[in-house]
Amino acid sequence: MGESAVGEASPLVTDPFDAVPGLAPLRAAAWDQDWAATRAFFEEIPDTETDGVSFAAVLLAGVERTEWFLEKAVRDRPDAPLPRTLLAERYIHLGWRARGRGPGADLSWDQAEQFQDWLRKAELLLIEVCAREPAYVPAWTARLATARGLTLGQSEARRRYDRLAEHDPHHVLAQSRLLQQLCPKWGGSWEAAHGFAQECASAAPEGSRAGVLVAEAHLEHCAELDGAQAGEYLRDVSVRDELRRAARASVLHPGHRRGWAWTDSHSTFALAFSLGGHPGDAARHFTALGDTVSESFWRNVPDWKTRFTEFRTAASATL
Amino acid sequence: MTTHEELDALDGIVRHTTVHGIPTLFAPRAGEITAGLFFRVGHADETLPTAGITHLVEHLALYHLGLSDLHYNGATASTYTLFHVTGDETEVVTYLNSVCTALRDLPMDRLETEKEILRTEAGSRGQGPMSQMPLWRYGAQGYGLSSYDELGTRSLTADQVRHWAETRFTRDNAVLFLTADRVPDGLDLTLPAGRRFPTPAPSSALPVTPAFLRGEDGHLVFTSVVRRSTAAAVFAEVLGRALFQDLRQKGGYSYSAEADYSSRDADFATLTAYADALPQKQDAAVGGFVDVFARLRAGRIGQSELDSARGKLLRRYDVPDLGAALLPSYALSLLTGHRILTPEQHRDELKGVGIDDLREAAREAWDGGLLQVPARGAEWAGLTPAPRFSPSGVSGTLHPSLEDDDVTLIIGETGVTLSTPGGLVTVRYDACAAMTTRPDGGRCLTGLDGFRIAVEPTLFGEVTAERIAVLDKAVPADAIVPLPMRPVEEIPQPRERSAADPRTPARGPQETADGKRAGRVTGHFVLVTALAALWPVLLVALVVNGIKDSAPMGLAAIAGFALEFLLIRAARNLYRTGQPTTPP
Repeated sequence: MGESAVGEASPLVTDPFDAVPGLAPLRAAAWDQDWAATRAFFEEIPDTETDGVSFAAVLLAGVERTEWFLEKAVRDRPDAPLPRTLLAERYIHLGWRARGRGPGADLSWDQAEQFQDWLRKAELLLIEVCAREPAYVPAWTARLATARGLTLGQSEARRRYDRLAEHDPHHVLAQSRLLQQLCPKWGGSWEAAHGFAQECASAAPEGSRAGVLVAEAHLEHCAELDGAQAGEYLRDVSVRDELRRAARASVLHPGHRRGWAWTDSHSTFALAFSLGGHPGDAARHFTALGDTVSESFWRNVPDWKTRFTEFRTAASATL
Repeated sequence: MTTHEELDALDGIVRHTTVHGIPTLFAPRAGEITAGLFFRVGHADETLPTAGITHLVEHLALYHLGLSDLHYNGATASTYTLFHVTGDETEVVTYLNSVCTALRDLPMDRLETEKEILRTEAGSRGQGPMSQMPLWRYGAQGYGLSSYDELGTRSLTADQVRHWAETRFTRDNAVLFLTADRVPDGLDLTLPAGRRFPTPAPSSALPVTPAFLRGEDGHLVFTSVVRRSTAAAVFAEVLGRALFQDLRQKGGYSYSAEADYSSRDADFATLTAYADALPQKQDAAVGGFVDVFARLRAGRIGQSELDSARGKLLRRYDVPDLGAALLPSYALSLLTGHRILTPEQHRDELKGVGIDDLREAAREAWDGGLLQVPARGAEWAGLTPAPRFSPSGVSGTLHPSLEDDDVTLIIGETGVTLSTPGGLVTVRYDACAAMTTRPDGGRCLTGLDGFRIAVEPTLFGEVTAERIAVLDKAVPADAIVPLPMRPVEEIPQPRERSAADPRTPARGPQETADGKRAGRVTGHFVLVTALAALWPVLLVALVVNGIKDSAPMGLAAIAGFALEFLLIRAARNLYRTGQPTTPP
């Protein structure tokens, strides 16, 4: 989650804090290093935001220097799950920043060490939380990220997810993290990744955004293929049909309710359809997005902001 | 409270006296008599070059009984040796008298044969998944020796064995127990006077705990050393159940998941936890293990968990002829100087254990823990790698490996170092537990800390007879263990540099690439240990329930004790490992 684009005719809104007004108090609390306000925000997250705590925790983790006040909050309340989990997510964020987003083989020794150090710090915090509060889903969600970065293995990641799913079987952010783990680059297989995505999407209540997992799996798969093959992959009719079904059952479903993660969902579908040459299918997602977009998958596209605008124009031409 | 007062407190349950100077505990049980003669000597009292000397004395002491069913009634453990028998009064008297007669004057004409028998036993036994744990915790000394083969079966002399018997198998280093209402007539347990040896002080090869080491696929082992307490024993029960619940019943990652609490010496106990796992599930088993332990450390322990664990320990007192059933445990406490609690006192302690006590026991166990994980390591869970390399090296002559350009052997004035890309492995002569020697010049040095270097003249450049002579001169004479000539084909030769098959057991420098041995793993140890642990419980039930029809029950009891002995021995044998330079 990043900086807002500046200096464009129609600047894209990439920061979820800007895209979702309801998140504004969290950003204010983070900037003020205000633990009481931060805690109040999390305590008031409505139950309808199913994975809202995790989503907000990840978002908070991207705000600079939040570890300062979160560390103090942990010291003051060593047994409380929330400050530990928020601090762990911040450490995970710092770990990934130290690592960079390139393939593991390109990492320097120093980068790899820093990455591991941050993740270990996070993991030690989270072990305690899960020991005390095994039903505290946000901590298990964070532990899916540490399991992957610390390369604790497929079966351990699955164990963590299973522990989480006992308490929340439709936690899309956690599912998205496990989906990453199930991709071949983290030791899984495409069969496992697509299977899991479909399984989560089918099991989810109608109108849930879980269908986005199907798109995520296809985008990950496409990214692993070479140029020509990659283009072909998303153009494939069966892939397109899967994406259509997933979109219809989730973010395009009449029962779908826009949650905090709405930009993620539409952005991912918009990208998958656009790269597959299905501007007509992408159109409704672009319409929903307007000038708002989530970078999570788009940033992997070279010169992505230009491409976003081009794809959006092509899509709107089909309307 | 003095020992005498403690024994007096058992009045009405267990009586005590002395027989030829040997403290004796007895309590009645109808039917056949079971007797046990404990000596406070075991593997942990030995040194690497003399390892097996206690076992050898035990074998020699039983030799004259060899043709009877009673042949197997002896056991050598880490801190004690037990001769035990079940039979009628005459059989018991005959057995005990025979053991003591033999101990006074061991049949030394049998020495070489018994050494051969022990070597054959060693060659045929496997290694359990737990076999490496003592070595990593204690090094190649004291309690660590149970990781090692009985090197003494190579070189022990009659004088050494006789001296061991004379000093350790004395009346002052013994305790006798009998399931009888009186001491039988005709006993002659005359043994030389001596002194009671305290249990050996523990050595340490683990600078930091909790620590971890990498083992083989499919097994997860945790050991810790905790202060002996009723709470710690209850904690082991709780841990075993929690592991079974999480790893097997809930997760399905493991088939076996269990924990055990066994006294190490008067003050400390070894807590062991074990779980197996299929290779594709073992990462989850490690994760589940870490989480179970974290939960218990956090004190999130259900009252029902405590109650069921406590209930199991309390049920041990629900047996007829309680005094007789408790004799071995009381005798061992008397022998090692551990406090003796009456059943009532122990029940009260059990009832007094609370969740907070379990939490403290969990923390103590974790803090002193050593975890053997099948893959990946355990730094993520806050554990420190157990040292795989020595902190420093020695200077001396350089001998490049003929197999690997990055490996160099250094033979110096103060010790030997193997320099590998991963780090240095050093054995200093003044801290050398044992050096085996081959007539062909091969030497293998094992440090007290457990690090080992094989100096094979065929595998390193310029390892001349002069350089070997440096080792022979510098290593203390009592650490040198001569081994016989090897067939030519067993003398290692440099391998093709490019064609290392990872499945072939490494020899030469690769073998010591991380300084300590990685164990071969079998599942047998777990099964045998479980049987050995369970069998006494069943046996007590069998024996005490069968008292009325004594004849068939007597046979069953004899068979039962023999089986228990076999199980304990099999478990112990599986627990030990081979010595690298010793051909099978």
